[in-house]
Amino acid sequence: MGPIEQAFALVFDPYVLGVMLLSALFGLIVGSLPGLTATMATALLVPITFFMAPVPAIAAIVTAVAMAIFAGDIAGALLRIPGTPASAAYVEDAYRMTQQGQAELALGASLVTSAIGGLFGATVLAFSAPALAEFALRFSSFEYFWLACFGLSCAVFISTGSPVKGIASLLIGLFIATIGIDGTAGYPRFSFGNVELMGGVSFIPAMIGMFAVGELLRYATHTGIRIEPPRQAIVHVFRGLGPVLWRYRANIMRGNLIGTAIGILPGAGADIAAWISYAVAKRFSKEPAKFGTGHIEGLVDAGAANNSALGGAWVPALVFGIPGDSITAIVIGVLYMKNMNPGPTVMLHAPELLYAVFITFFVANLMMIPLGYGAIRLARQILHVPRDVLMPIILLFCIVGAFAINNTVFGVGIILVLGLLAFVMEENGFPIAPAILGIVLGPLLEDNFMSSMIKADGRLLGFFERPIAAILGLVTLAIWGWVIGSAGWRALAGGGTSR
Amino acid sequence: MRVNDALTGAVLVLFALAMLAYTVTFPGLPGQDYGPALFPRLIGIGMILTGAILIAGGLRRRGTEPLVDGTGWLRQRPALLRFGAVIGGLVVYMLVSDILGFIPTALGLLFGWLVLFRGGKPVSSLVIALLTVLVVDYAFTRFLLVPLPLGVLQAVIY
Repeated sequence: MGPIEQAFALVFDPYVLGVMLLSALFGLIVGSLPGLTATMATALLVPITFFMAPVPAIAAIVTAVAMAIFAGDIAGALLRIPGTPASAAYVEDAYRMTQQGQAELALGASLVTSAIGGLFGATVLAFSAPALAEFALRFSSFEYFWLACFGLSCAVFISTGSPVKGIASLLIGLFIATIGIDGTAGYPRFSFGNVELMGGVSFIPAMIGMFAVGELLRYATHTGIRIEPPRQAIVHVFRGLGPVLWRYRANIMRGNLIGTAIGILPGAGADIAAWISYAVAKRFSKEPAKFGTGHIEGLVDAGAANNSALGGAWVPALVFGIPGDSITAIVIGVLYMKNMNPGPTVMLHAPELLYAVFITFFVANLMMIPLGYGAIRLARQILHVPRDVLMPIILLFCIVGAFAINNTVFGVGIILVLGLLAFVMEENGFPIAPAILGIVLGPLLEDNFMSSMIKADGRLLGFFERPIAAILGLVTLAIWGWVIGSAGWRALAGGGTSR
Repeated sequence: MRVNDALTGAVLVLFALAMLAYTVTFPGLPGQDYGPALFPRLIGIGMILTGAILIAGGLRRRGTEPLVDGTGWLRQRPALLRFGAVIGGLVVYMLVSDILGFIPTALGLLFGWLVLFRGGKPVSSLVIALLTVLVVDYAFTRFLLVPLPLGVLQAVIY
């Protein structure tokens, strides 16, 4: 049996399909409830996937995230509150359509474009990852060092808000990654004699803390938003959809391409893909004035883009171990725990696992049409789930999940400290994603930096002597030069602010 | 709670200085000029630079922006109470779960949180809390084989 047949057998197993179905329902509910994001869904799933075999674990995450990103549109269209940040770009259009009695068309379009986008991203992933992996086999520590630098730079500069705060967030993450035994000399750093800190800050409690507990603290301090689902019945989700989608077929394709490309770029995910895709749609539209008034065009573009970004984000994650967004950052941590270390060699050692990942992407996006239809029909009931009940239960889940990784309350301490840190950072405009990427990529960055330093005998020019390393290094330095240069120019021009 | 960038920048710089001072105690690599201290030191230098930029930007806006913006949720008692309950609950769990056991600790915390978040409704909150804790306990100890502490229930069960 070849690896592809093995992969099909791995995925089309009743247990795996059952896990995918449950994860899909979980993703649909979490995604459609405002305040619960797709990243949070992943962080909450990780402690459970910890106890599964690699394929069901990854299938659970892929499915839940795909569903959550689509379901974010439900709350956006019905409540004008995006269910996840990835739906924020076109929430105005979707909600205005509902007010004009077109909720069915808006939700139907977002369901179908989400599935098309997801399938497109999965196709790109399945074809580009093996080819890139072959290329990446020739990489040495120099190339990996620059690749990690490039990924982290993208994370800082693509993220919304001030780049200075992005850099600060990244440095905080990198510092957290240095806690514990260091990779070159085996010296315990910043552990202050504490045995549990010597092992480093465990990754899963760190994610739960920064994404779930941080969000819960924000909810605790900013309640009072009452949710009033509309009374309008939503029945004929697919009525009149065909001609509309056909008219905007070029938009769907453009959304797919932009979304996948942004997903592949390290550090930028579905939410940024949706914003950029919406902006491009408006820029090239024949009727840009209609955008924001309940026009379906931008919704079609961005609805496809945010789901196609999900598949794109896995390309650098699987091939280089560099996450494409904060969700794949969590995935990389899961892959390491499953002894499926991401990188080009995964293609050599376990090709069937890689193919299984691609297949789960296709299955999940095909499942989206019937399950998403059900979620739209039940939307009014789902939106009635009282969040005041849900949030304390999620908090209990965070505690148990953090405890379950090492079976000590130390994990609970980590979620407390990092949850508070994430809350304070977010309150003051520091993005969280760069810190997460710093925690994930810190060890990879440092190990490759130290072994490159030793190989080059401390000469920094040695970092540019191999051709691919030189190109990656120059591109990274050019990004930094451009950002610092333009910031300096603005400061000189006067009135420059760092926000 | 929004604070002026000058303050967050200053915290970042002070933290970096403390960290840099601590890296002096790290040993070197034999035969190399650099060791485990190099990478944390580079991070520290980066923190000082970004902290300085934040301080400069924050000071420029000092006239229009207060050093600490104490409005918003800090002024609302319910929000403060909920915030304290989340933090306090986690601390309580760390302190007592080993002694009391998972079920009593989690039941107490979840009940407290539910009553606070829902503004009353003690009876239904108790039912929800009890059901959730039993389901979570069963799922994690039976299916995922996580040894949640038994605590005081140990004497009851055995």
